[in-house]
Amino acid sequence: MTDTEEYHVILFDSIHHALRSEKILKEAGIPHKLIPVPRHISSDCGICLRFTADLRIRIEDALTGKVEIREIRPL
Amino acid sequence: MAKIIDAKGLACPQPVLLTKKALEEENTVTVIVDNEPAVVNITRLGKTIGCTLQTEKKEDGTFQIHLSREVGERTAAPLDVSCAAGPLVIVISSDRMGRGDDELGYVLIRSFIHTMLSLEPLPQTLIFYNTGVKLTAKDSEVLDDLKKIEESGVSILVCGTCANYFGISNNLAVGAISNMYDITSTMAGAGRLVVP
Repeated sequence: MTDTEEYHVILFDSIHHALRSEKILKEAGIPHKLIPVPRHISSDCGICLRFTADLRIRIEDALTGKVEIREIRPL
Repeated sequence: MAKIIDAKGLACPQPVLLTKKALEEENTVTVIVDNEPAVVNITRLGKTIGCTLQTEKKEDGTFQIHLSREVGERTAAPLDVSCAAGPLVIVISSDRMGRGDDELGYVLIRSFIHTMLSLEPLPQTLIFYNTGVKLTAKDSEVLDDLKKIEESGVSILVCGTCANYFGISNNLAVGAISNMYDITSTMAGAGRLVVP
C-alpha cells in the first residue's frame, strides 16, 4: 500500500467491536490495518480499522449484522 | 528593528529561556546560536506560541533564527525543552505494549509503531529484543510501518539471539540482525531511551 491510495476507516464505539471486526476481516482475507484513530476524527475507543476505498463493499458485506459500527468514512 | 539575542556558547536550556523572555517583550526577535539542538528547541518554542520563523545557517557555523509574532498575541506556552545530548532510541522489548492483557497489549503496540511514523524528529535507532523481534518478521502486521520508518533513515537493530530463539532468523523482513554489543552501546549512548 502506498500513501497515494485512498483510505477509508471504520469507527467503533467499543474496542471490542473493533477487535471482533478485525477477526472477521482476517478470516475473510480482506486486507485492512488497525491504526489509532487519526487526530482529526473523534472516537471514544481510540482505534479504528483502515482499508483502501475499493474494498468498502466487501468490508460492509462482511461486517453488516455481525458487529456494531459507528461509522465508515473516508480518512 | 528586531531585538537581537546572542546565545552563542550558552548551554541548553539558556538559549530557549532567553528567547522566550525576549518574546514576552518584543514581537520580533533574532536569536544567534551555535548548535543544532538550540535551533530545534527555539523552533519548537516559536511554533508553540504561534510565531513565524525563518532560520539562516551562516558560514561560520552559527544559526540566525528570526521569530516574529502577531501583535497583541501573548499566549503563555509551557516550555518544551529537550537538553538531551544523545539521540532518541526506542526499545521494543515485547510484541505487547504494557502488561496485563495480551490482546489489548497487541493492539497498543501496533498503534504505537504506526504512530511513531509521525514523530518529529524520528528516533535515531529502534531496537527489538525478546518477543519484540516477532514484529520484524515477514508475517508481522506492522511490517509496512516498520519499512517506512527504516526508509526514513531510522536504524533498526534486531536481536539475533532472540530471532534464533523464536526460530525466525530466516524470516526477518526489516532491520539488521544485531548483537548485544551494539544493543548495549546504543542504549548506553542514547540521550533519551523510550520503552513502550
